[in-house]
Amino acid sequence: MPSAGMILVHVLLLAGVVVMITPFVYMISTSFKTMNDVFTVPVQWIPRTLEWHNFVDGWQAQPFGRYFFNSVFVATAVTMLNLITCSLAAYSFAKFRYVFRGLFFSLVLMTLMVPYVALIVPLFLVVRDLGWVNSYVGLIVPAGTSAFGIFLLRQHMLSIPDELLASARIDGASEPRIYWQVILPLSRNALSALAIFIFTWNWDSFLWPLLVVQSESLRTLPLGIASFNSSYSTNYPELMAVALLAMLPVLTLFLLMQRNFIEAMTLSGVKG
Amino acid sequence: MQTVAARPQAPRRRLRFTWAKKQALWGFVFALPALILFALFSFIPIARTFYFSFFRYDMLTPATYVGLHNFQSVLSDPTFGQSVVTTVIYVLGTYVPTLAVALLFALALNMKIKARAFFRTVYFVPVVMSMVVVTVIWRLMFQHYGLINVTVLNPLHIGTIDWLNSETYAPIGLILMSIWKELGFYIIIFLAGLQNIPSEYYEAAKVDGAKNLAAFRHITLPLLQPTILFASIMAMINGAQIFIPQYVMTSGGPVNATNVLALNIYQTAFVYLLAGKAAAMSVLLFVFLGIISALQFRFYRSSQ
Repeated sequence: MPSAGMILVHVLLLAGVVVMITPFVYMISTSFKTMNDVFTVPVQWIPRTLEWHNFVDGWQAQPFGRYFFNSVFVATAVTMLNLITCSLAAYSFAKFRYVFRGLFFSLVLMTLMVPYVALIVPLFLVVRDLGWVNSYVGLIVPAGTSAFGIFLLRQHMLSIPDELLASARIDGASEPRIYWQVILPLSRNALSALAIFIFTWNWDSFLWPLLVVQSESLRTLPLGIASFNSSYSTNYPELMAVALLAMLPVLTLFLLMQRNFIEAMTLSGVKG
Repeated sequence: MQTVAARPQAPRRRLRFTWAKKQALWGFVFALPALILFALFSFIPIARTFYFSFFRYDMLTPATYVGLHNFQSVLSDPTFGQSVVTTVIYVLGTYVPTLAVALLFALALNMKIKARAFFRTVYFVPVVMSMVVVTVIWRLMFQHYGLINVTVLNPLHIGTIDWLNSETYAPIGLILMSIWKELGFYIIIFLAGLQNIPSEYYEAAKVDGAKNLAAFRHITLPLLQPTILFASIMAMINGAQIFIPQYVMTSGGPVNATNVLALNIYQTAFVYLLAGKAAAMSVLLFVFLGIISALQFRFYRSSQ
């Protein structure tokens, strides 16, 4: 016989579930409605008819196929770049001794405390000086490394025993080969956590693309949805349909790899 | 160092020296790609933010030195003051309830709960959703005949609120949305913190006859303090930079009611082309966040 307290706790948790899920259900339900049925009283949870064409029409209202490709391409490229730069730097900070190593590492960690918004103006100017405005390079390279990633991987690599590296050196392995064949395979878990974190983060990226993208063909999904949202007399069913399609990749990734996902996000909490 | 020890005696010193030097070089080479990116896209921009705050600069014609003029102009600008107030209200309004409710839910999830993994997953879904997508969903929910009015307020006889066109309710609406979106993240953070507390403490407290509430006050809260401190610093740094919902849902309106600092900086630089003034705002934000983080650490240290 469960206690009254435990029943209360379960009621609280279930109430939480209802609050968390309702906006989501509302979005899905709206995406299948006709425009006339969007604002009925009471809310029509199950649409009278299933207007599948909302997905097609919404998708074609703007070049969302192109935006989708841009999002996938940019987020993937940023993630790969981060895996390389962060793991190299983390390996260097964890296992090598040289002058300024401590200084470099502190400088990198310091950037964690810098508000991104405070940098947008000069960051834009740097990218403009490089001639990268309105280009994929301009979208990708400035996001190509991360202090959090370096910190996360370094913590992990500190736990790799030095003897392992020493014996690889005795076997005559070159330093790049040790990195590639010893360090990287042993860091697989930390790397996949970082990959999830960076990919999700960039899928959501908005402010930087807003500044650096000028032509429609370079827009990412968040920019496309925002511009669809602000177009005169919003077509809500189509907007919800497109938004639903836009969140599918990350949502699927999350549902498939929940544990890694939550781990990745919690790791960002361990750094305090 | 074993490699060196295995070599013949005579050239040992020189060999060790060159080996160490070679290793140092490799270490530096490995750090280089990240360091170059940091230099270009973090260090130089940080330095330039401070530099440009003393210049008038429209990003098109050469900058002219104006001393402290930008800071004077920012501090005497009522819009800036208002955007600071709006941001502070947003941060406190969002994160005080978020952290409190997240702690409550984390405590609940830390008990012997059926289907804990299910609850954790559901609460976490909004965290992985894109902020722009969340914003357009909630914009629909806040419409005159949207979900909030029709399903929540009308049955409670509160009437209908014109959320997005009201200077009072637009900020509240954005706060509600942000709580919904952020809650799951802090639940997970607190849950991780709670699970790090050794259960022996609670058992000892039970032996001593401590009631649940006493155990919470004297064991859970003190031991959870580092987590709470971390969560609140993180909340503040993220919250102070909030931009997407205000840009996408309300464009800072109605009448600047949701014109948060980030939006103000963006508009000052890229709409009004006053990059120097925007840099001065950025410097103030920078310093302000630095002071608050330091104070929070201080407060935390002194309470230990």
